[in-house]
Amino acid sequence: MNFSRLDWTVLILTLTLIIVYGVYRSRTSKNLEGYLLSDRQMPWWIVLLSIMGTQASAITFLTAPGQAYSDGMRFVQYYFGLPFAMVVVCIAFVPVFHKLKIFTAYEYLEQRFDVKTRLLTSFLFLLSRGISTGISIVAPAIVLHSMLGWDILFTNLFMGGLLIIYTVSGGAKAVAYTQQLQFIIIYAAMFIAAWWALKMLPQGIGITEALHIGGKSGRLNVITTGVTDKGFDWKDKYNIWSGVIGGFFLAVSYFGTDQSQVGRYLTARNEQESKIGLLMNGLVKVPLQFCILLIGVFLFAFYQFNKAPAYFNLAQEKTVKQSVNAREFAAADQQFQQIQDEKRKTVTALGTALQQDNKPAVDQLRTKLQEQQQQAQVVRDSIQNIVKKTIPDSEGNDTNYIFLRFVGDYLPNGLVGLIIAIIFLASWSSIAAALHALASCTMVDFHKRLRKKAATPLQEYRWSQTYALIWGLFCIVVAQFSYNLGNSLIEAVNILGSWFYGTILGIFLVAFYLKRVGGSAVFTGAILAEITVIVVYSLNLFSFLWLNVVGAVCVVVYASLAHILFFAKNKTAPTQPKLKTQ
Amino acid sequence: MSPIQQEKIPVFKKWRYWYWLVIGFLLLLMVLFYLFTKHFA
Repeated sequence: MNFSRLDWTVLILTLTLIIVYGVYRSRTSKNLEGYLLSDRQMPWWIVLLSIMGTQASAITFLTAPGQAYSDGMRFVQYYFGLPFAMVVVCIAFVPVFHKLKIFTAYEYLEQRFDVKTRLLTSFLFLLSRGISTGISIVAPAIVLHSMLGWDILFTNLFMGGLLIIYTVSGGAKAVAYTQQLQFIIIYAAMFIAAWWALKMLPQGIGITEALHIGGKSGRLNVITTGVTDKGFDWKDKYNIWSGVIGGFFLAVSYFGTDQSQVGRYLTARNEQESKIGLLMNGLVKVPLQFCILLIGVFLFAFYQFNKAPAYFNLAQEKTVKQSVNAREFAAADQQFQQIQDEKRKTVTALGTALQQDNKPAVDQLRTKLQEQQQQAQVVRDSIQNIVKKTIPDSEGNDTNYIFLRFVGDYLPNGLVGLIIAIIFLASWSSIAAALHALASCTMVDFHKRLRKKAATPLQEYRWSQTYALIWGLFCIVVAQFSYNLGNSLIEAVNILGSWFYGTILGIFLVAFYLKRVGGSAVFTGAILAEITVIVVYSLNLFSFLWLNVVGAVCVVVYASLAHILFFAKNKTAPTQPKLKTQ
Repeated sequence: MSPIQQEKIPVFKKWRYWYWLVIGFLLLLMVLFYLFTKHFA
């Protein structure tokens, strides 16, 4: 992939703009409330952009179009539980957090239960978020290494190091304001890329025809039920049920109990602004994700008229071409290109039939296209097997590279640099919020809570900055070690989250709705639930999204049983925070 | 900001209407997505 001088200029200018802006907006009170919560002064729209920027990592923008290209748009169903979750978070979590004026979500648990439950929950968060943030740094670095040949260590240090500058210096305020600017640049660049793909379609093929081509090739499968001839497939990752139910539990846990999100809406100037930010996220998230996936469908249509690589990972393709399997790869590649040539004739005829509204011809061509699509898929599968055989560490999965390969092969100089810049910006956006949350929990839940000697506001401010720096360095080290996970690291982040989110959510559900259950019962329930989640995962009974449901339900059930069997005799009423819940 | 201003809910009189708007919009999107899938398939 050619990265010209103009691309470098655009990349450096964009990154410099963000860092300068972040440092410029970082002036805040030098105390804990200023550093961790921006003095609780943020309007709802900054909260909204901050929430969205935290959730969407670089992988969201790299993988989503590739996912739609190879598997269709059904991935959007993953977000169907989110709007429901926003409503639940607004009703159950936000009023409590605001009334208690807390810094971290886990502070509430000490008031409701005891210190050990607070520390356990905060520890689970630090463990999962610390590791997953490290993996989030290396994921785009691997993609950049494959496409541009950049050194992974250098990219990790560059990406992590620049991010640390404004996160450590500016705290919550810098994170929120840079996320706002990053969001605008990212979406603008993505839509320019989509427009470019459409612009390069042949004469007479517009958006409608591109959608028909995608739809008739099975790429517009936005709603799927997960039901097969053998009944409901529990291992099917993305369908309406796993999206609404599993996605709901995941989103409630993420937005209600993950400090990287809680810390964003606690910066709002009041409860109303937090709620509006979250509800607006519930309104816009699904349509925006739909649009990002639609880019993948446009790429699919584009590649029906232009030469499509049989395998999109440039570095791995090169390795295979230099290996003993080169001849086998070349034969499969040739076969793939022959099918592509046939497909090109079919889609051209389909475009004409659609324009003429010739329904019998459309039906006939659709069937033919689907057959050719299946043939192409068989060849692509065989190519992926050749890659796996040649590079045993690789999964032979090139989904993450589809969008970037298009960018490198077809977009003009300058725009390539902008797209590479958005990979950095999207990474920074989510990682900065995570680092900030890790520093908040370490400072508030552990340092401040366990240290007997009182500190001045300035000392607390300096300690928070130190923890942000330490976590930043920790994540860079994790990034270095997790490089060997290969392509599976994106899924590793999701699975890691699902191991802990359900349990953390269960603890909060008990806190809110089972008022008689005390700290020891919920602590026992949480430990047992975590063991259950790990066992269920090891037995491979469900796809990972369902682990959130398992964890949450297990905590509620185990804590209730533990309360009835062992702790109900201790008639001491559990400590309740003095507040009115709505 | 006074407590009265803080209690004021934007656009609607009650939060409940906001919640129904969010859920209703999602349901509308699901129906539109279903029709979209059917139409282009």
